[in-house]
Amino acid sequence: MRFAAVLALTFATQAQAQEPRLERLDSAARAPVAAVLDSARAAGLPVEPLLQRALEGTIKHAAPDRVVAAVRRLAGDLGRAREALGVSAAPAELEAGAAALRAGASPAVLAQLRRARRQPLTVPLAVLADLVASGVPVDSAASAVLMLAGSVRDADLIEFRRAVERDIALGASPATAATADAPTSLNATARPRSAAQPRRP
Amino acid sequence: MFEREEQVVERIITLLRQPVGIDPALDRRVMDEIAALRTATHSGTVWRWVAPLAGLAVAATVLVAVARSAGPSTQDLQFVLVAPQAATVSLVGDFNDWDAARTPMRPLRADGPVWSAVVPLAPGRYHYAFLVNGSRWLADPAAPAASDDGFGAPSSVVTVTGGRGT
Repeated sequence: MRFAAVLALTFATQAQAQEPRLERLDSAARAPVAAVLDSARAAGLPVEPLLQRALEGTIKHAAPDRVVAAVRRLAGDLGRAREALGVSAAPAELEAGAAALRAGASPAVLAQLRRARRQPLTVPLAVLADLVASGVPVDSAASAVLMLAGSVRDADLIEFRRAVERDIALGASPATAATADAPTSLNATARPRSAAQPRRP
Repeated sequence: MFEREEQVVERIITLLRQPVGIDPALDRRVMDEIAALRTATHSGTVWRWVAPLAGLAVAATVLVAVARSAGPSTQDLQFVLVAPQAATVSLVGDFNDWDAARTPMRPLRADGPVWSAVVPLAPGRYHYAFLVNGSRWLADPAAPAASDDGFGAPSSVVTVTGGRGT
């Protein structure tokens, strides 16, 4: 037990030595965050998002235990995202996948997206997380993104998200906005570009 | 005789999409600022969209726009903040190690209310926020909110695609 603690401390110290940005963290958060980074590195998970989350908490003067908790939570989400998306998932996909999971999407939705889309999943997953942040129920957001992901471009997904946000700002319920705008985006993509009608403002 | 539910919803959405009347003076002030902005930026700038005016109610309106490609895999994104009372504004986020000294925003006109910074970003999803006068955190009211980690200050999210960001 004592040996394991010493080993963990040694790894954490090494991680600190390798990553000068850790010096910006509160001293109480530095070693635990370094240990999380080291574990993530050993597991083949991207480390940069974890470090950025720690730096964000630090500059916002969050308590060290909150910073450590946020970094640990993100490391867990990145791991779950990789399980759902596969070991070949790119770091940006894992980061977006972690955001989608944090928003409430299930790992099964991430796996479905992987099967539905050959292109990178960063934007679909980001749009899913952003829709939930806008108030769209996670099931509605997941259904809409799954409907679109197989056939539309990243730019169309971004435009879909904007359309939903615009409708919400105009008073539509988030679920209705997502449900109503998804087929519109799909149809606009299926139609020849020259025939596509501009959206109303 | 009776409309189907989908038709009712469609009609409601159509009504909701009707333009909302805005004070013409406000419209003119905002368009003047945008015109000044366009003049001050790279000649190849393409403005994708302008943030909703609703943000004015919180003393600041934020715009994010794609400027031009900075390379084969990055985009120059222009972050714009309208903050009339600000003495200093910093753009901080995942892309600059949350270092307030790294990306100071600059007023587009001397003593003007519009602050701007351009950052080259590779495709991905980034958290960011504005630090006003060194102490006040401001999220982008026109961008998706980042998940709350209990840090006590809000952040926003920008997603950069291969072709543009939002």
